[in-house]
Amino acid sequence: MVGRLPEALLPAVPGGPGAPAAGAAPPARRRRRPALTPGIVIPAAMLALIVGACFLWPLVYPVPPPVGGSILDASMPPFSPGHILGTDPVGNDILSRILYGGRVSIEVALAVSLIGLLVGGVLGTVAAYRGGMVDTVIMRVLDVLIAFPALVLAVAIAEGLGPSEMHVIWALSFFSIPAFARIARAGTLRLHGQTFMLAARLSGTRTWRILRRHVTPNIMPQLVTFALLGAGVVIILEGALSFLGLGIPAPAPSWGNMIALGQGTLSAQPALVLIPSLFLLATVLSLNLLGDALRKRWSVR
Amino acid sequence: MSPGLLEVTDLTVRFRQRGRDVPAVNGVSFTAWPGRTLAIVGESGSGKTVSCRAVMGLLPPSAVVTGSARFAGTELIGLAEHDLRRHRGADLAMVFQDPARSLNPTMRVGTQVSEAVRSHLPLDRRAARERAIELMGLVRIPLPRRRFADYPHQFSGGMRQRLMIAIALACHPKLLIADEATTSLDVTTQAQIMELLLDLQAELGMALILISHDLGLAASYTDEIIVMYAGGIVEQATTRQLFASVRMPYTKALLEAVPRLERPPHSPLPVIGGRPPDTGALLPGCPFAPRCPSAADRCRREAPPLLEQEPGHRWACWFPCGNGE
Amino acid sequence: MAAEAGPAPAGRAVLGSPGLRLSGRRLLAAIPVLWGVTFLTFVLMNLLPGNAAQELLGANATPADVRALELKLHLNEPFWTRYWHWLSGVLHGDLGASLTSGQPVTSILAQRLPVSFELMIYAFCLSVLLAVPVAAAAAHRPGGWADRLSMMVSMAGLSIAPYVLALLLIFIFAVRLQVLPAIGFVPLGQSVVGNIKSLTLPALAIGLPLACFYTRLLRADMVEQMQGEDYVVTARAKGVAPWQVLIRHAMRNSMFGFLTVLGLNLGTLIGALVIIEPIFALPGIGQVLLQSIHDRDIVVVEAVVLVFALIVVLANLLTDLLYALLDPRIRYGRPAA
Repeated sequence: MVGRLPEALLPAVPGGPGAPAAGAAPPARRRRRPALTPGIVIPAAMLALIVGACFLWPLVYPVPPPVGGSILDASMPPFSPGHILGTDPVGNDILSRILYGGRVSIEVALAVSLIGLLVGGVLGTVAAYRGGMVDTVIMRVLDVLIAFPALVLAVAIAEGLGPSEMHVIWALSFFSIPAFARIARAGTLRLHGQTFMLAARLSGTRTWRILRRHVTPNIMPQLVTFALLGAGVVIILEGALSFLGLGIPAPAPSWGNMIALGQGTLSAQPALVLIPSLFLLATVLSLNLLGDALRKRWSVR
Repeated sequence: MSPGLLEVTDLTVRFRQRGRDVPAVNGVSFTAWPGRTLAIVGESGSGKTVSCRAVMGLLPPSAVVTGSARFAGTELIGLAEHDLRRHRGADLAMVFQDPARSLNPTMRVGTQVSEAVRSHLPLDRRAARERAIELMGLVRIPLPRRRFADYPHQFSGGMRQRLMIAIALACHPKLLIADEATTSLDVTTQAQIMELLLDLQAELGMALILISHDLGLAASYTDEIIVMYAGGIVEQATTRQLFASVRMPYTKALLEAVPRLERPPHSPLPVIGGRPPDTGALLPGCPFAPRCPSAADRCRREAPPLLEQEPGHRWACWFPCGNGE
Repeated sequence: MAAEAGPAPAGRAVLGSPGLRLSGRRLLAAIPVLWGVTFLTFVLMNLLPGNAAQELLGANATPADVRALELKLHLNEPFWTRYWHWLSGVLHGDLGASLTSGQPVTSILAQRLPVSFELMIYAFCLSVLLAVPVAAAAAHRPGGWADRLSMMVSMAGLSIAPYVLALLLIFIFAVRLQVLPAIGFVPLGQSVVGNIKSLTLPALAIGLPLACFYTRLLRADMVEQMQGEDYVVTARAKGVAPWQVLIRHAMRNSMFGFLTVLGLNLGTLIGALVIIEPIFALPGIGQVLLQSIHDRDIVVVEAVVLVFALIVVLANLLTDLLYALLDPRIRYGRPAA
């Protein structure tokens, strides 16, 4: 929900004060930049840690179930025996709720990003490549969807379909498909005028081949970085829906609905809000950092 | 002869890029005198622009500059930015190559000129404006008062270059460096701008440094010529001397590459084969050796030093061309 | 000397003529978008299970009662009839009446919109007023401590969900420090200070993440200008002080891209209302929307969505217009030189 990510984000960010002045001799050959800078490794590792924890930890190490806790264990503070993050007012173990809730957020983000990438990417590329009527029609429809504040649309769909993970995915895909389509279209248009594209077309290469061999590899970096940054937005939106009660139905945990539940006891037990918020922040931050680092890495100067 | 206004001695510039040092200029020395015009000629990458920008202090932070550049007694290399700024624009000024990109597209031209004035002179807005209009008239822009409030894109290329000159002259600098100032202009406009520069020089007694890749231009308008190649000076002489007795094969090749009317039509233009070297990966020996028609083994092994082998004429070559053109 | 005179009347073209034409075309193009939005909303609302009558009467109502209410609210008529009925009403300026409360929609809007507008403007101003100076400080010395610090903080800031930030702000300022109210809205008429206080936390919750986003964007653009553009070298060669080069030259040119982004993000601002208003119990349009979707009150939903879409479209248009007005290259057109 933070800042729609326009194409303005995508143009290259300068590589810092290192470029020689105009007229200076250019370096012999490009010094091979190390493939994995700390800027990429650290957020990637963080992400891997969180994803791994959510999906693998409960399989490897026994945790109490996320629902059906006993009232006897209610509201235990962090670092209590058996409950390292404490329990909520109903007695559920918070760590376990975080892990299982994380699964939801990650699944949703993954699904929505993939759907956006595939469907939106194809739509945008085709629209740009075909041009003309096809382009105009597709773009108009997407404009309509984009003019809709994303959350409103998502709320409407989630409301109507009833709270569930699948429905959240559908709802958020409505938002991600046009966004990806825009990016793909802009990228394809940029390529369209370039000489190598003209050469390919003149040589009689079939459209499909051109799209696959020339267009796709060139717009992939932009799409991937957009996907990463967008995944962060999706996670926040999913959280918002769950927060409003329209996402994952209680008592099943989701970071969003945990925050909502914790709202009531904000002053008494702030941990209920703080802990899922922290995980949310960490995940989105890693996604943003990784997306940003990759964008800088892949930017053409 | 009056003392040199700008005395550059052994100027060296390296760029620090990701831990590597890329040399751009190697031990360049020259002097500019008031009222005289010096040309620095060379291909792209020869280091001509970098040398002059180093003197002005306009290189990016990744540049490491050593050597000396004394301007009227003040050492510019290593001078604090704060102090250097006081000289820039006021005593030394520079005109750049592409006036379309060198002017701020969203600021009125008059303001850009008066900004140059107000950066050094304590004038108020009105006085600065008057002075700017005066300057615009000096560089022969028609109707300067009317055009004060126009934007750069409303001017033609030649006009924009005049504006750049007006900006450079704002505080009556003692030295003007014109970096490929006429390269992006058509031939007629080029001649006009050059005439303007020379007229202004005569009027104001400035020292003028012309940076160009065009030896023909240098021939017509300058007193002294320096030829640079791969970051160093390879030949240096007064214009007359240079054209009377070219020594360095590179200079000779440059001369021959200038298109001339006397040549029979449809004859191929002589070009210098190969490409200018990458100063970051120079081989031992003379840098021009790979492309030189007279290169010998010694040239590839040992780099020739720049020596004054005739009075007022220096060159760096083991096997210089004989007398005559 | 060859005649190099510029265009006759000193290049002052008819104000914004190319710009106005462009905006006119955009306006026309916007109409089908607006229509599409309302149509899509109608379709969606009708796809939702249940209808206003059922929601009103609740689960215990008898089918007969429901039918009666449906008839009264015209909910039994076919889709197209109802849509046409609504659309023709709108085109005549009549937005209809709420199915749930019977209150005319225009009066609902009149009550609720000002609150939301105020919040939006407050958040918008906060985001811009915070972003510009921080970005300038960062761009002044790229890689310096101000730059690094602001980039780190802004990265964290834009990774926080607004609703999380809202709760955090409430916790710090309302619960612990007790300087600002956690919930409730004080109208302007009642108390100006109270009004501002009641909107500060919500505006921060929306504005801070946006400010972080804007800071990064602006800083990147300004650094790009300072390092890559020739006119910056000219300015330095003139002897202009570094701060002045940054603000008078680089920032000026960066503003254009910034303006576009501001316009594009208005939709985000609006979307944020829907989630922030309930948290702070502000009687704004976001809350109305949420409630109406829940109540299946199509009429109100349509009206609110229409307002939202209109704002977005107008904002985009305004951005284009401003662009045309401010960019001298567009405003004064190209001369025949």
